[in-house]
Amino acid sequence: MTLTGCITLAAALLCIGIYGLVTRKQAVAMLLSVELMANSANILFAAFAHFRGGASAQVFVLFALAITVAEVAVGLALVMLIYRRHGDTTLDLASEAKQ
Amino acid sequence: MTPVTLALVATFAPAVAALLLLIVFPLRHKGAPAAWICLLGSVVSLGAALKLLVDRLGGAGDTRVTAPWIMENGRAMAEMGVLIDGVSLPMLVIVGVVALCVQLFSVAYMHDEAPRAFGRYFTLHALFLFSMNVVVISPNLLQLFAGWELVGLTSYLLIGFYFAKPSAAKAAVKAFWMTKLADMGFLFGLLVLYVFTGGFEWTSQPTTLVATWVTALLFVAVIGKSAQFPLHIWLPDAMEGPTPVSALLHAATMVAAGVFLVVRADPLFALAPGTREVMLWIGSVTALFAACLALVQSDIKKVLAYSTASQLGYMVAALGAGNAFAGFFHLGTHAFFKALLFLAAGSVIHAVHSNSLEDMGGLRKKLPLTTVAFGIGALSLAGFPGFAGFFSKDLVLTSLEGKGNWIPWTMLMGSAFLTAFYMGRVLIKAFGGELSEKSAHAHEGGPAMTGPLVILAIPALASGFLGGWIGTQMHHAHELHFLALTPVVASSMSLIGLTAAWFVFRNGGKAPFAGTLERLDAFSLVDKTWAAGYQVGLLGISGIAGWIDRYLVDGLMNFGAWSTLEGGESARRLQTGRVRDYALMVVAGVVVLALIGVLR
Amino acid sequence: MNHLLSITIAAPAIAAAVLIFVPNSNRVAVRMISVVGAAISLVTSIWVAFLYDRALGGFQLLETFPLVPSMGIHLKFAVDGWGVPLLLLTGVILFTGVITSWTLAKRDKEFFMLTLLLVAGVFGVFVSQDLFVFFLFYEIAVLPMYLLIGIWGSSHKVEPSGPFKFVWKRFEVGSREYAAMKLTLMLLVGSAAIMVAMFLLWVNSGAKTFDLQVLEATRFPISVQHVIFPLVWLGFGTLAGVFPFHTWSPDGHASAPTAVSMIHAGVLMKLGAFGVLRVGMVLVPDAAAIWAPLVGAVAVVNILYGALCAASQKDLKYIIAYSSVSHMGVVMLGIATMNAAGWNGAVYQMVAHGIMTGLFFALVGLVYERAHTRTIAKMGGFAHVMPVVAGFFTLACLSSLGLPGTAGFVAEFMVFAGAAKGVNWWWAIPGVLGAFVTAVYVLRAVKTIFWGPKPEGEYAHLTDARSTEWAAPLVLGSLLVIFGFYPRVLLDFIDVASQTNLKRLPAAVTAQVTPPAGEKVVAR
Repeated sequence: MTLTGCITLAAALLCIGIYGLVTRKQAVAMLLSVELMANSANILFAAFAHFRGGASAQVFVLFALAITVAEVAVGLALVMLIYRRHGDTTLDLASEAKQ
Repeated sequence: MTPVTLALVATFAPAVAALLLLIVFPLRHKGAPAAWICLLGSVVSLGAALKLLVDRLGGAGDTRVTAPWIMENGRAMAEMGVLIDGVSLPMLVIVGVVALCVQLFSVAYMHDEAPRAFGRYFTLHALFLFSMNVVVISPNLLQLFAGWELVGLTSYLLIGFYFAKPSAAKAAVKAFWMTKLADMGFLFGLLVLYVFTGGFEWTSQPTTLVATWVTALLFVAVIGKSAQFPLHIWLPDAMEGPTPVSALLHAATMVAAGVFLVVRADPLFALAPGTREVMLWIGSVTALFAACLALVQSDIKKVLAYSTASQLGYMVAALGAGNAFAGFFHLGTHAFFKALLFLAAGSVIHAVHSNSLEDMGGLRKKLPLTTVAFGIGALSLAGFPGFAGFFSKDLVLTSLEGKGNWIPWTMLMGSAFLTAFYMGRVLIKAFGGELSEKSAHAHEGGPAMTGPLVILAIPALASGFLGGWIGTQMHHAHELHFLALTPVVASSMSLIGLTAAWFVFRNGGKAPFAGTLERLDAFSLVDKTWAAGYQVGLLGISGIAGWIDRYLVDGLMNFGAWSTLEGGESARRLQTGRVRDYALMVVAGVVVLALIGVLR
Repeated sequence: MNHLLSITIAAPAIAAAVLIFVPNSNRVAVRMISVVGAAISLVTSIWVAFLYDRALGGFQLLETFPLVPSMGIHLKFAVDGWGVPLLLLTGVILFTGVITSWTLAKRDKEFFMLTLLLVAGVFGVFVSQDLFVFFLFYEIAVLPMYLLIGIWGSSHKVEPSGPFKFVWKRFEVGSREYAAMKLTLMLLVGSAAIMVAMFLLWVNSGAKTFDLQVLEATRFPISVQHVIFPLVWLGFGTLAGVFPFHTWSPDGHASAPTAVSMIHAGVLMKLGAFGVLRVGMVLVPDAAAIWAPLVGAVAVVNILYGALCAASQKDLKYIIAYSSVSHMGVVMLGIATMNAAGWNGAVYQMVAHGIMTGLFFALVGLVYERAHTRTIAKMGGFAHVMPVVAGFFTLACLSSLGLPGTAGFVAEFMVFAGAAKGVNWWWAIPGVLGAFVTAVYVLRAVKTIFWGPKPEGEYAHLTDARSTEWAAPLVLGSLLVIFGFYPRVLLDFIDVASQTNLKRLPAAVTAQVTPPAGEKVVAR
């Protein structure tokens, strides 16, 4: 496995994430897409740490994972609230701020 | 007391009276006390003026004192003060005498007014005398202008004295607007004088061009104030005011302020032969034109009003011919005999309760004293030999002799004939013939009415003999040659006019061309032109301006606000509220930024 | 007394603060506190006039308190010859305005609080020697107007017409909310321009200070001046009613309640003109000299156009409001002449117009309160039932048309003389014409409203001015006459300041307008 391969994988994951984010309507699916994008960044961190050496990047990955978990918790809580309010998890319904 | 103190007393005594009446309003509201306070002010004023006159006869010279009034860059831009000389002193006395007589007459004439109106009347009279004296004693043109506007104000308020009458209200406003329109000329003249000489002195010596501009602009104001063609139309309307007011303001003093201005500013006018030429013609045209119109008036006051315009035309013509003394002399005699005529007319109106000549007739039997007074005034006005008007009118006409002025001279001779003719008409219609229905119960007013008539009759008869003295005061060599061409023609005109009137009107006949003149009078082209100018010009343009402001200028502002709101509405559509769209925008933004980063 | 100026400013502000703690129901206490606050300012401003040494000139009664020293911002008060008459004017208008509002019923406490706060701002502008504080007070003076008009104002209808008819769908043109909003927005746009100019001055002064006296001593590069002057002119000019940014004024003044119209037209509009003079002409004189022809030309438009618009109005308050636009044009014309006569006349006109328009609005309010109409065509013969009002209204009209013997004449005459003396001498012509048009519309209004047969029906029982209503006409009316007959009461102050500030003008301008020595012909 080469560095180029890792970067390609990260880029692919990012693009899938973006694609999912803009095409999916379901809040859970969008949340998953965001996770994909976050993880593509994590992979980059890990890959660079592996090939270039140095521990700080590894620390970042662990840190980011922890934050992502917290972020997912908040995100899912929001999804729950939207579901309670609209009976659906389609995010387009949640456009009250526009009014 | 010094001459300055005396002049200030003469000026401010009526001002104090007016102020007292304005502030201590119970005095004004009670009526009678207002008359006494006003009369007291006038007596003090006249007394001071007479004391000055006595001092002058005792050999006192000219006095001029000024004080800074408006400051500019540490120096006085304009001054106020007192000037007592051969012009202001006689004028001060004339104004004082006529004003006092008129006020005394008013006490009886206005007796039936409500107390408040009576009080207001005398307050305004006191204010008028103050303003007029400000004009008379002014040492420079700016102060003259200030007084000039103030007399205009009192004139406006006194014409509108019967403000409940729409016609009086209209006449008052018309008089103010017409004179104010002309006064713009005065203001412009002052500005030109200020720019080129740095002051407002009539003794300054600007170049001929500047002097011509200044005097021409000043003369515009004279046209307005002294009711010259084509701004004369306010004067006949001004007869809506009480008759004594017409006597004082619109015959003897205020309208003569225009002539007084030219007499004062004579050094400037002397530098501007062009202006004088115009004055000569306008004066002559007014004299003849107004005399023609006086011939067909049925209202006794309007006859006198047109005759005033006509006589002012004589004065202006004399000034145009370069003889300030002749103009001023005629101003003086005219003040007396015209005030007398108006007061006598007031006495008649008071007795008959009508202004119309048709309602009068045979009054000589009921009002003998008034008849004599009116007769003296009429003969003086007609220039009957020996009366005051004869001397001054002769002097005016003589000053036009030669110099290629034969057309104006002829016009003035013609109006001299007409003057005698229309005064003869009034005399015969009002006092001659059989008693009319309305005249049957006429009777003379009390001494307050007849007294002023007697007092004024004396100078109307005899003031012509004072010409020599006034002439020396004005440093003018005054000689009358009674056997020269002009006096002979003029006195024959007067006699012919009176005789013709006797033959034409004795049996209730009409003047030749009366129909034409009446149609001319009724059509009143000048009046209509000004009215059209006001309606179409001023109100029309102002209507357009108002519309533009509301719907274009302000509309543009509103449009600005509207487009802000509309723009916001449009921009709002970009905010869909959908998370996916925002995400797409974020991504697009990142891509664009990345591209910029890569391409740079 | 060293703190006279701060007391003048603080008195109304403290009165407003005290009012917070007074219960709404205690109407007498509310009024007494307001009057005391106003009276203290009036007395101290008169005192200032007595203490100011005219022979010495310059800025006097200096007080300094540091505010933000690191930015060079100080609470610095001092007064010069221009400030003294304007302080007096503000004191008089505030005092009479408060008394005029005596009978106000709706939310009176809040009304007095806002009014007092506003005037504290006005006082502050006239004495501030620090540009930042100047601007701060300026905003304090402008902003309460939104509430004062929005809450206590009156509405009327404007028929939709013209090419911009479609905007009526969005705005209720003519309503008090519309008027309040328009006034506030337009003035705030002006403020934004002033703020930019202010910071440009700060940045370019080198000293990083807002101190006006330091800024005055600085000669800014001409390129900077060229940016600053138009910003100052239009920024402050909006408040002074400079064409075409005057349109807030008719609607605003017509909608505002009586006392607010008095204060707004009487003193607030003067802040704008004062700003142009104080900041524009004095701080950036080189650019001002170049822009002056435009300033003067626009001022002339103001005079004549404002007068013509006034002549076409049917609503009494609109007539007076447009006359303010016209008369503020005279002030701006005086400023643009850049000579002593013009500047003296401009400041004098600020005072004369302030008093006159205060009197006008007080009387219009009085008539409106009784007749419940402002349409002049519906009135007539009111002089029979309210002779005192008629008399004072006529007096105000006379000052408006510039009759000698009233303050208006002195001011207008000086301005026109200054204009005639300058390069653009033709400015005097439309100026004088405007005065004539004024004569036409004010006297027509007098004739329609007060003259004519005795009113019948609903107007038969109108009453004349009573008790507190006498205050404004008496005080303002007599001041008009006093200042008309003896202008040196104020002119001696004004002239001192004009002399000092004229020295800052570029030599080219001064040479153009001063007649060569010896040209003045001395009378015999």
